[in-house]
Amino acid sequence: MHNFTSKSSTIQDIIKGLNLTKSLFVSSIIIGEPHTGKKALISSIFEDLPLVSAKDSDILKDAIKQYDELIITDFEHIQNIPTSLLEDKKIIATANSITNQSFIDNLFAFIYHIPPLKDRTEDIKHLGNLYIKEAKNKLMIQKEINLDDISLNLDQNTKSLQASIYKYVLKHSMDKEDLKESLYNYIYEHIDGNNAYKEFLDIYEEPLIKAGLSKYHSQLKLSSILGINRNTLRKKILEHNIDA
Amino acid sequence: MRDINFQSFIDSDHSPFILFDNTSKILYLNNSAEILLGYVEKKELYDMTLQYAPQSFGVKTTTLNLNYENFSFYAITVGYECEEQIYIRFYHAPKVKQNITIDKNKLILTDINLLLEANITLFQSRYTTALKLLTDPDIPEFKIDQNKFSKLLRKSFELFAKTKEISITLKFLVGEHIIIDNKRYHIIRLSITSSDTIESNDEIATIAKECFISSLIQKNSLTLEIPLLID
Repeated sequence: MHNFTSKSSTIQDIIKGLNLTKSLFVSSIIIGEPHTGKKALISSIFEDLPLVSAKDSDILKDAIKQYDELIITDFEHIQNIPTSLLEDKKIIATANSITNQSFIDNLFAFIYHIPPLKDRTEDIKHLGNLYIKEAKNKLMIQKEINLDDISLNLDQNTKSLQASIYKYVLKHSMDKEDLKESLYNYIYEHIDGNNAYKEFLDIYEEPLIKAGLSKYHSQLKLSSILGINRNTLRKKILEHNIDA
Repeated sequence: MRDINFQSFIDSDHSPFILFDNTSKILYLNNSAEILLGYVEKKELYDMTLQYAPQSFGVKTTTLNLNYENFSFYAITVGYECEEQIYIRFYHAPKVKQNITIDKNKLILTDINLLLEANITLFQSRYTTALKLLTDPDIPEFKIDQNKFSKLLRKSFELFAKTKEISITLKFLVGEHIIIDNKRYHIIRLSITSSDTIESNDEIATIAKECFISSLIQKNSLTLEIPLLID
């Protein structure tokens, strides 16, 4: 079972087109950046077709000999396969880029372009909330997490979106013991040199002051909460170059 | 001898027939002539009627080559029996696909409306062109190379990628046939028109030919005449 979900109107059109031609002997290709959901999309529609990657040309050649209808992923890597072998097949393909425009143009009846995630605003929200739910479930977290609070990374489409959400969820669900353990692991891995005390103290001091200022908005109040002199706090704010 | 109503025969006659009065007004035209008038001005036909009319009452047939887009005629007959009415009848030059043998192994019975819808969906996923569609859902399934024909449709639509609006019409051509492999086939016409100018594309004619389809690209339209291969 392949899960694919999208709220994007362009992708709904692609799904419609693929479903309309599913029973016909036509070749289709979906072209788009890595991690835009191409493989999941076609696998969800053509569930019964064998799937091979064009990265391994020997396996691909065998599959082409064996099947009249097949899915070929990573189509941009295809090489040493004569067009005549592919012309009489029904090929459903995915490609991260177009390396040979005329070859693709000749072979495929339907050429779909899947937009990158940054251009699919409906999907950023839809997938973002799905990943939050998934992350909370997998990490057994109850805390409420709001997508708008997360700095999303869309550079690598769903992959980086998912990573940024998982990291956020993980970071915002740690308790004191988790933090200590993380710090221990980090320090153990990086401790070195002749100024380590000062360097690793920064890891503690900087978020302490930043969080305090965000919460109390006043250096006077924060110095009293922290139990340190106001001048000492001022000095540390300057030292860490904190925007106060 | 009892009266026979010849008009119904002329109505459905494959050859265009037009009856004018002496002011060039059309008094009658059959179905085929109606189609022809979509391609040529009435005045041009009237002028030709007068030009090829017999010198006195009677009928005159002239052999000549007439071409109006996809229409080709090899002769016309002009006749009149009074001063008030004159008619012209056109004789189709048969459409014959020369030296083509159909490889039926690659042809699959297909619902053309399904392929058209899939191509419209693909077009709409990429372009913002507004679209009007007039199709005949009763067109029967016919045999076609599905992949090649879909490619032809994709390339046909791409000609209109930069236009603001297009009209798509798919219809069965009443009274027109094409001869392929010595067999007569009905014709389906797919037209895409726009008010914007389009560029020509030689590849379309090549792919169309491989599918036994006649293609015509004009300033702002594309017409495909598709043989209804059933057996």
